[in-house]
Amino acid sequence: MAVIVQNTEIAGGIYRMWLAHAPQGNAGQFIMLRIPGALDPFLGRPISLFDSAGDELTLLYQVKGRGTAAFAGLPAGAPAEVQGPYGNGFPLVPGDAVVIGGGIGAAPLHLLVKQLRAAEPNRRVEVHLGFRGEAYAIEAFRAYADSVRVDIGGVVTDGVDFAQTAAYYACGPSPMLRAAAKAAGETGARLYVSLEKHMACGVGACLGCTCQTANGRKRVCRDGPVFDFREVADER
Amino acid sequence: MNDKPLETELLGVTLKNPVIAASGTFGFGREYAELFDVSRLGGICGKGLTLDGGAGNRGVRVTETPAGMLNSIGLENPGVARFVAEEAPFMRSLGCAVIANLGGHSVSDYIEGARLLNDADIDILELNISCPNVRAGSMAFGLSPGSAADVTRRVKEVARHPLMVKLTPNAPDPVEVALACEQAGADALSLVNTFLGMAIDVDKKRPVFDNVYAGLSGPAVMPLALRIVHQAAKRVKIPVVGMGGISCARDALCFLMAGARAVQVGSMNFANPRAMLDIIDGLARYCEENHLENIREIRGIV
Repeated sequence: MAVIVQNTEIAGGIYRMWLAHAPQGNAGQFIMLRIPGALDPFLGRPISLFDSAGDELTLLYQVKGRGTAAFAGLPAGAPAEVQGPYGNGFPLVPGDAVVIGGGIGAAPLHLLVKQLRAAEPNRRVEVHLGFRGEAYAIEAFRAYADSVRVDIGGVVTDGVDFAQTAAYYACGPSPMLRAAAKAAGETGARLYVSLEKHMACGVGACLGCTCQTANGRKRVCRDGPVFDFREVADER
Repeated sequence: MNDKPLETELLGVTLKNPVIAASGTFGFGREYAELFDVSRLGGICGKGLTLDGGAGNRGVRVTETPAGMLNSIGLENPGVARFVAEEAPFMRSLGCAVIANLGGHSVSDYIEGARLLNDADIDILELNISCPNVRAGSMAFGLSPGSAADVTRRVKEVARHPLMVKLTPNAPDPVEVALACEQAGADALSLVNTFLGMAIDVDKKRPVFDNVYAGLSGPAVMPLALRIVHQAAKRVKIPVVGMGGISCARDALCFLMAGARAVQVGSMNFANPRAMLDIIDGLARYCEENHLENIREIRGIV
């Protein structure tokens, strides 16, 4: 059983949870996090991996409903049920990378940037993060990225050059993903997006999170959450 | 002492124990087979099938409620023919009883689906006249004794496998529907499917689900389900498989004591994939502690 080492609010409604005795995972994967034995809140919540090192996991999550509100109240030392990690994760495409995050969508991109850097120390990794209000986790990105541009209250994709020879990765609200997809469509850029859906099981059994793709219906939890943006054009 | 205290006979099939994965919560077993030894289960009910398959509902499909959840999946499934060819053989390989769940939009859909399922290597056919999430058919057949009996009779005429009819708690009188299905030839009954509920997105001032209403399940509904199972089991002579919000061995014991021969576990699989194993272990412990030769000794004692 994983144990909470630290669980602190780092910005308004944004928490960082540090877990020990947890499984290891890759960028873009998620865990189902649950309060052990609880029937209310009932289901686990899919939370992406902000960092993974050995048997320690760091999560960033936003308090949005009863489940995440309950997480926010968990003290250090409390046990946490961690199922997974699940999902396909981001492909680590060789060469330069451009990483675009919106709000809490930045969470899985941190582990991505770290793993991109570890896989190819000399590649260029450019990060663009957009926030509606307060920015967070910026320093953690600076540790691995060549550049980190922060946009507050604007349209983060407006500041991204989609004509570079690089792989593009995006996670954030739907309007941001639509804007990134439109731009990538115009330049022919390679873009991977991480989708978010309500999930019950996280493993592909309940079909609560399926989406329409160019290759038939797919489960965001199991066949995703990362997709080539061209494959999920109908969903964005 | 009996060395198989949980062994349960259901419609000529010997279940290792009376714990069955409920339809719609376990796929066709593929995903959970990667996570635990599913051969330990009594059986698996596959995802609800429709004759030609379908993509299911649009929009939000699941949302959590106090101690439960609402779903509006809408029977996304590969269709009966693909189930027979690809999924049933896989389910058979898992080492527990195989139950196919068949929904339908019309009586002729049900009949044709049942005919095709005659070619499948399954143990029991569960007739789903209780899914609340499809616009045409399914639950509509289960709301009144007359229509439930009609589709049961017509399917029973063509089906070669034992027929278990899955009932809705949303009928004005579920016990009358149970009696009508028994009369019409059902070999067993399973109940209850989800309770019709609703969620509203207050910020957007509109229903959460495109289909407006959705099926409520999970621990919150357990006492409601237990009441209906108790009433139905007292009235019918055919086996009753009880379900609704079971989350632990004690919940399962409640349904068995209320008269169920076996139980199905649904939403709890989502919260804790190993829940059914815990329930099976808990039932075995109960038999040992209470010196039961077999779990059937407590069946219907309440």
